[in-house]
Amino acid sequence: MSPVTQDPSQTQQAREAGARAERVLLIPAFNEETHLSEVLCQVAETGLGLGVVVVDDGSRDRTALLARQGGARVIQHPFNMGYGAALQTGYKYAHRSGATLVVQMDADGQHDPREIPMLTKPIEEGTADLVVGSRFLGDESYRMGFARGLGRKLLQAVARSFGLSITDPTSGFQAMNRAVLTLFARDSFPTDYPDLDVLLAARRCGIRIEERQVSMSPSPRPSSIHRGLGPTYYLYKMILSIWAGTVGYSDDPVGHQSVYGKEVHR
Amino acid sequence: MTSSDLAEMRELFLNTPIPLSTRIMALWVSLLLLGMVLWLVKRRLLREQYTPIWILAASGLFLLNVWPRTLFAMTRAIGAWTHGSTLFYLGLLFLVAICLSYAVRLSSLTLQVKNLAQEVSLLRERIESGGAGLNESTIQKPAM
Repeated sequence: MSPVTQDPSQTQQAREAGARAERVLLIPAFNEETHLSEVLCQVAETGLGLGVVVVDDGSRDRTALLARQGGARVIQHPFNMGYGAALQTGYKYAHRSGATLVVQMDADGQHDPREIPMLTKPIEEGTADLVVGSRFLGDESYRMGFARGLGRKLLQAVARSFGLSITDPTSGFQAMNRAVLTLFARDSFPTDYPDLDVLLAARRCGIRIEERQVSMSPSPRPSSIHRGLGPTYYLYKMILSIWAGTVGYSDDPVGHQSVYGKEVHR
Repeated sequence: MTSSDLAEMRELFLNTPIPLSTRIMALWVSLLLLGMVLWLVKRRLLREQYTPIWILAASGLFLLNVWPRTLFAMTRAIGAWTHGSTLFYLGLLFLVAICLSYAVRLSSLTLQVKNLAQEVSLLRERIESGGAGLNESTIQKPAM
């Protein structure tokens, strides 16, 4: 039994929309003109037949133009709202398009689209609802600083205490089915960086989460997730949102209610 | 200095009457605040729904001025020495409360703006694509 009730009017809407891609590849992008074309080329080379959607989060460069040239459907935010908001716009789009499977990857070229089938396989087989591509699973070749490594270990321990074993919760390389899509289209989804808090909240809703090992080239930019916020604030925010999320989620009626109450940050 | 000296000294402070000039100024401030709120509403710069708290603040100040005994009693009750500190304390409490209520409002507005912007983006996409669905055959053809 799926814990997330599907809205019948929306599935109807999707059916009326006619021939639409059931499998969507979502690429949120903010000022990514240097990498986006190459990423879209790599995606095309895989020949996976995914409908590619680039969500341009208010870029001031040629991101949207290059995305269109690369053959992607482009959704443009009127202004910059954050990585999470861009992802969610994509989720909403995919949901309304009637997508049954969504893959998300970053536009900066750190994910290898040839690894997409690995992520989608458990979902197609119905053994998982959400598959997270992890750079840490098995392989330890990816390096990160001491402070981040420590923070990661701490949060992993928190996750384990809630019965979720996840090595790379901030991974932007994920695949999900429609139940997850419905959940992530809710108001509770964070606008900045979805992280362990989102995964834990999803798990409490009965979403089956799995991890698969993927290779990731180090991000060409300094840690995009922790940019601007100190690790201390990051930890504080995670603990707060994990607490709020795990307390609030279960009583939440499907629809417009917020998981963490009203969105407090950003 | 013994504790009885201290208590005596506190009594001295507590029984000091509020100077007339202070009362006149407080009266002016409360009337000014009231007038300001009404003027802002008249000019459509302030929505009626946000006015009660300010009207209450102005009336509170006015009433404390008319019945200073209320203020004296409060000063005794909270253990303060001077009526001025009681006023500062009440003022701070009021500011904290109003900031918190604005933070709550701001949070809900943030959410609404985000949802609106997402909706605009999705609608814009639908118009630009002529309502065509995302379909697998038209995609995946790089123009390079």
